[in-house]
This record gives sequence, C-alpha cells and structure tokens, in this order.
Amino acid sequence: MRKEWLQRLRDEVAQAWAVAFKDMRVYYLRPGMIMFGFLMPFFMFFSFSVRREMAAAQGVARLLALTVFFTAAAAGPFIIPLERRLGTYDRLLAAPMSLLSLLLGKAAVGACFAIGVSAIALIVGVVAFGAYIAHPWMLVGGVLLGAFSFSALGLVFGSIPTRNPGDVQMPSTLLRWGLLFISGVFIPLEEMAPAARAVAYLSPLTYAQDLMNHAVLGMGLLSPWLDLVVLLFAGILFLLPSIWMHRRSRRLGY
Amino acid sequence: MANAIEVHNLTKYYGDLLAVDHISFEVRQGEVFGFLGPNGAGKTTTQRMLTTLLEPTEGRIIIWGHDLARDPYVVKRQMGLVPEESNVYTELTAWENLMFTATLYRVPRAERARRARELLETFGLWEKRDVKVENFSKGMRRRLSIAMAIIHRPTLLFLDEPTPGLDAQSARAIRDLIRRLNAEGTTVFLTTHQIEEANQLCDRVAIINHGRIAAIDTPERLKAAFRRVQSVEVALEPDGQVHGGPLGALPGVSTAVKMGDKWRLYTEDPSALLPQVVRYAESHGLRVVSLSTLGPSLEDVFLEITGQQVGTVQHETRERGTRRAMGEGDRRRRG
Ligand SMILES: Nc1ncnc2c1ncn2[C@@H]1O[C@H](COP(=O)(O)OP(=O)(O)OP(=O)(O)O)[C@@H](O)[C@H]1O
Ligand SMILES: [Mg+2]
Repeated sequence: MRKEWLQRLRDEVAQAWAVAFKDMRVYYLRPGMIMFGFLMPFFMFFSFSVRREMAAAQGVARLLALTVFFTAAAAGPFIIPLERRLGTYDRLLAAPMSLLSLLLGKAAVGACFAIGVSAIALIVGVVAFGAYIAHPWMLVGGVLLGAFSFSALGLVFGSIPTRNPGDVQMPSTLLRWGLLFISGVFIPLEEMAPAARAVAYLSPLTYAQDLMNHAVLGMGLLSPWLDLVVLLFAGILFLLPSIWMHRRSRRLGY
Repeated sequence: MANAIEVHNLTKYYGDLLAVDHISFEVRQGEVFGFLGPNGAGKTTTQRMLTTLLEPTEGRIIIWGHDLARDPYVVKRQMGLVPEESNVYTELTAWENLMFTATLYRVPRAERARRARELLETFGLWEKRDVKVENFSKGMRRRLSIAMAIIHRPTLLFLDEPTPGLDAQSARAIRDLIRRLNAEGTTVFLTTHQIEEANQLCDRVAIINHGRIAAIDTPERLKAAFRRVQSVEVALEPDGQVHGGPLGALPGVSTAVKMGDKWRLYTEDPSALLPQVVRYAESHGLRVVSLSTLGPSLEDVFLEITGQQVGTVQHETRERGTRRAMGEGDRRRRG
C-alpha cells in the first residue's frame, strides 16, 4: 500500500515536470510571453524605478522583485487559454494525473522563466554594476518562493473558463499593475504614509520586495521570515481559486 | 462478454440547452461501437463526458467496472483519446510529441523509444520524426494524434470523427488502422457522422440526434432504414412547383417533399427512379434543370427510425445554420 503511494507520487512529479518542461520549450519564444514576461519587468524598472543617485545594490533588489513578479505571473494567463483554444489542454486534462499536479506543473513554467530572468538580472547587477549581495541564500529562497507564488497568481487568471487569451490578458494585467503600484517597490515602505503602508501590506509584492531588500542590502522593514511565510501562503492560497475554476470549466465545457 | 462501457441516464445541460438527454447504452469488450449522428447531435458532448473532460449533469458512467465519477484515475490509464481536432503540439517534432505523451502516461522509460519507433513506422511517419509538426499535412497530424493516443496501449480507444477533412487515401489508411487496433483487442468508441464509415467499421451503431438515441443495432440491420431514405432531387421548368403530385405518384416513390425550387423524392432505389423522372419530364414537355441522387442523410435516418415524417427536418437544420460544409458534401453524390 505504502509502496503504491510512493510510486503514484513519483509518477505525479514526473508528469508535472513533463508538462512544465514541454511548456517551457513550446512557449518561451511566443511574442506574448516575450512581451509580457521578459521585457515588461525591465521596462517597468527603467521607466519608473531607476534613479540616478540610486546605489547598484538597491537597483538590483528592485529589479529582482520586478522580474520575479512580472515574468512569473505572465505565463499562466497566456498559456492555458491558448492551449484550451488549440485543444491541447484536453490532452493534459484527460491524462492520468491529478489536477493539483497539472497546476503545479503549469506553475513551474512561470516560476522557471522567472528564475531564469532574475538570474540574468542578478548577474548583470553583480558583474556590471558591482552590486554586493548581503545574504545569497536568502536571495535564492526569496526568488524561488516569490517565483512560485506569483506564478500561482498568474494561474488564477489562466484558469478563467475561456478559450481566448485576450479575455484574460486585460484583467490580469490590470491586477498586476495594481498590485505593483500599491506595493513598496517604487516607494520604500518606511517612507509611506500609514494608510498607504496598510494598503501596501495587501500586495504580496511588498513582501517579495522586503525580502529582496534583506537579501541584497541586508536590511528591510519586516522580518524576512514573515516575508517568506507570506509568500508561501499566498502561493498556496492562489492555487485554490484555480482548482475551483477548473472544476467549473469541466461543468461548462471549456 | 464483459462490458467496456456502461452508461445510465447520461444527461448534459449547457445552461438551458439540453445537449444529451438521458441516454443509456453499453459498449461490449472488443467491439467497434459507432456513435452516429448529424452535426450538433451531442456526440462530442457524450464522448467528452466518457473521457472525464466534461462533468455530466446527471447519470452514471461505468468503464471497465469502475464508476468514472469516483475512480477516474484507474480508468484514465486505460483510455486513449483522439479528439475532434488533431491536438498535437505544432512547435514540437513528431518524436517529441510522442515522448511527451509517453511520459504523461507513464510508459516505462525503457519502452518509450521502442514503442514510439514502432508507432511512427506503422503510421508512415518515421522519416519525418524530427520535423516540427507545424509542417505536417492534416492527414499526418491526424495519424500522429492517433499514435499519441495509443502509445500506452489503451484497452479502450475513443475517436471523435477521425476522417472528415482528409483525402480518400488518408481516410482509408486511418480506417485500416482502426480495424487493425481492434483486431489486436482494443475496444473502440467511434464518433462519426458518416453512415458509410459506420457501416464499414462498426460492429454496432447507436444513432443519436438532438441528444437522444433512436436505435442501437448492427449496421446490417440499420441498412434497411438507410435504404428507405435515399432520394432523388429534381428541378423542372417551366412551373416545376406544380408537378409534386404526379412525381410523388411515380412507382417506388414513398414521399415527395418540396425543397425550394426542387422536389425531393424519397425512394429505396434511386437508380430505377431516375429514368422515370426523365421520361415524365419529356412526356410533359418540361426541361430538367437539375437532377441528382442523394444518399441517406442522418437526419432522415433518425426520423425514419423514430417513425416521424421524413423530409421535414431539412428546413430546420438549414435555418439553424450551424451545419459544417462537410456534412452536406459527404452525403451528396451527384447522379
Ligand atoms: N461548451 C458548450 N457550451 C454550450 N453549448 C455547447 C457546448 N458544446 C456544445 N454545445 C451545444 O451542444 C449541442 C451538442 O453539441 P456536440 O458538440 O456534442 O455535437 P456533435 O454531435 O459533436 O456535433 P458535430 O458533428 O458538429 O461535432 C450543440 O447544440 C452545441 O451547440
Ligand atoms: Mg462533435
């Protein structure tokens, strides 16, 4: 009995990874992905966030938070509706794997993209601008968890019952920008008015930014453990509406 | 013999639209079971429920003895699915498509490559294994899609209209494949709207329309019904409209139905009727503007079997405007 469960678990992990790997190969070069996933964070960084007097390390911390956030959240709303339209999503839904594994596999796509893009941002920051990283391991943990959490957020939009990626691009972009502007990325938390800060706490990006500040600069406003826990719980929480909407799709026939 | 599929009172509403209406049937182990019906009959809806892609509103599905609602995992491992569109990954090569599916269905690692090669060779795709599928023809995609559906050696294979849109040769190749798979022991659930295809392939056929099953029988025994709803369509000038009475009285004609400027004459033997129609036109000094024989249409078969007036439904279907072009093209044989 126990052995059977272990085998099933191994199967599910392999299946989830196969889904993720396949998606990464198929979708990384799609214009939608390049535009919203790979260029957007740099665009946001250079247009809103870069200041002449800013230290290199500070810039790296911001850029990392932005890449993790934008890249990770871009995959879900783009890939799933597209696959539904092409009919390839049925192949995954009909396969002998649990919905949770499928969703985790899909979440891994955005997460891996985000990890890749942040790695590039990090290397450029360190090599070209001589940024110093205070706590490398915290940085690794923060990027991993942030990538997972924001990728799961993207999945929520990908799970909306529709076959048209255009239908979800709009609301998902609006929400991402909303979360971005209320969070502590552009204005440090400690400089915010109390009301603004209270709002900032609603955005998971605030915690990712605070965590990056800890990891890169060695200082932040909140506890890094709190940041980690919030990101983890946000990621798990984001999976719930996705599961619910997948069940709904199965009733509606999408 | 054991049953592969047992369906009890299966029902699906899309909102207010009743797509499948309390149908019950079983598919026996080892048979090719045809699910035959016109466009919009509810075939795809039924197949999607049988393959767990769609949740039934009501009813029970039992596959290989397992209740699908309660125990989908075991059943999913035994099923292969060829959907209506060939849903292959066009950005990947044929080989990569097969490898991905093999992983998804947990084909043992050692067996994957051997099985993929064997399938690609059988399906005539081995030379193209490293070509991206976006460069494949429709027939090649369909074959790959079937190969992907059987890489894990399913005991039950679902195919949703596998041949429309293919040239005659590709369609024949796919029918041969289905026959071969069945001979090797795979139970097949085949959805189609082509009477001829069902005739050629199926051990038993269910005829479905408007979400209801009218009959389940062998093609041989359904043939009588098919024969009765063949027809000859004729347009005469001048004043073709007024000749319905005499045309309907020609020997062998069961019903005459006006279709626009034409008359459709239902008969079991169109070839015997043709010369009579021509003779009638000549003797009344009329010009034959068009004359054609029509094979049985599924709508008509359905009406014939349910004992309704044949020829009344065509208008309704045209108005609905949802027919795909191939439905008409397939059954019309110019005489
Ligand atoms: N997701 C959906 N939402 C609402 N209505 C649907 C949906 N899918 C199908 N329908 C409707 O349900 C009915 C049955 O459709 P279905 O696709 O099962 O027919 P079909 O027999 O497969 O037809 P075809 O030969 O065209 O493939 C049709 O009236 C169709 O318009
Ligand atoms: Mg269909």
